[in-house]
Amino acid sequence: MDFMLRNTRDNYGSVAKFFHWLMALAVIFMLALGLYMSGLSFSPDKLRLYGLHKSIGALILIFVTLRLIWRFTNPAPVLPEGLSAFEKFAASAVHYMLYSIMFLMPLTGWLMSSATGFPVSVFGFFTLPDLIKPDKALQHFFATAHNYIAYAAIGLISLHILAALKHHFIDKDNILRRMLPWVRS
Amino acid sequence: MGKVLVFIFSLFFAGSAMAENWKVIPQESKIEFKATQNHSPVTGGFPKFDAEINFSPEDLAGSNVKITVDLNEITASYDEASKTLKTADWFAVDVFPKAVFEAGSFTKTATNEYEAVGDLTIRDKKVPVKLKFTLDDYSAKAATAKGSTMLSRNAFGIGQGDWQKTDVVKDEVEVTFTIKATK
Repeated sequence: MDFMLRNTRDNYGSVAKFFHWLMALAVIFMLALGLYMSGLSFSPDKLRLYGLHKSIGALILIFVTLRLIWRFTNPAPVLPEGLSAFEKFAASAVHYMLYSIMFLMPLTGWLMSSATGFPVSVFGFFTLPDLIKPDKALQHFFATAHNYIAYAAIGLISLHILAALKHHFIDKDNILRRMLPWVRS
Repeated sequence: MGKVLVFIFSLFFAGSAMAENWKVIPQESKIEFKATQNHSPVTGGFPKFDAEINFSPEDLAGSNVKITVDLNEITASYDEASKTLKTADWFAVDVFPKAVFEAGSFTKTATNEYEAVGDLTIRDKKVPVKLKFTLDDYSAKAATAKGSTMLSRNAFGIGQGDWQKTDVVKDEVEVTFTIKATK
């Protein structure tokens, strides 16, 4: 039982760990890229980066769907003993919001691309169908939503990381270790 | 002398009778483009244009067409793109406000299908262009021409400097049109 695909009562399996760290890298990269590229003036570089951002965004939407299916058929390990009701509530609330954000970011991005009339191509392999027709008001709405959800994501990810570090260094429990790759808690 | 005059007059009248002027219905006509950025289409149009059309399927040799497009009115689905297209690197509408297509050579390629060869001038470049179109609902009083052509934006210098490269914005741009006209 050294290599577990599925979660157990106390540990995350390798599939959940893979999804977690792949998403962590992708989401942090996408937030940085999004903040950087939106400030550029209209240029080939800007369009190229938007193309990359949209391509990765489409892949994230696919992966988060698979991740949620895995999550629902694979309960997360139980929380350690001795957490207060508030801590339990905060942990579950932040996780729900992080999952929602992983869905809403690509979805608002896709809607915004459709409303702009710049369809999403995934690395040139295929183009996503437009969800809505080009529309200035909707473009503004989804661009604003995409922007605010991005700031919410930065806040929630910061909370998530700080909480994990607090559990590891202050509470000295196994919360952080059980999500680390190649580590058995 | 009198015979020569009659001959000249008859030529003149024959020409005007066969390839008469058509009047375009602007509300039911359109010229649109489809470019490609990051492998996905960007569409837009040229809502304002004038057309002088002397065309008759029975007198292709006497037919000629001149379309003048007002580039100040160019639109794209995205505001920033519409604005960018008017700047010096693209259409430079301050210096070159019009695009002109003039065709005087028409061939019939199939039933209701024609090919026109002409010159398209955009910016300071005049490039020979071939376009295919169909003629629908043709009568003595009304007609609809629908067609398309593939243009190379770099042949006209549309997209200067960094934009010349075709990895982000492709060189090929498809132009489609529907012209409804009456007499």
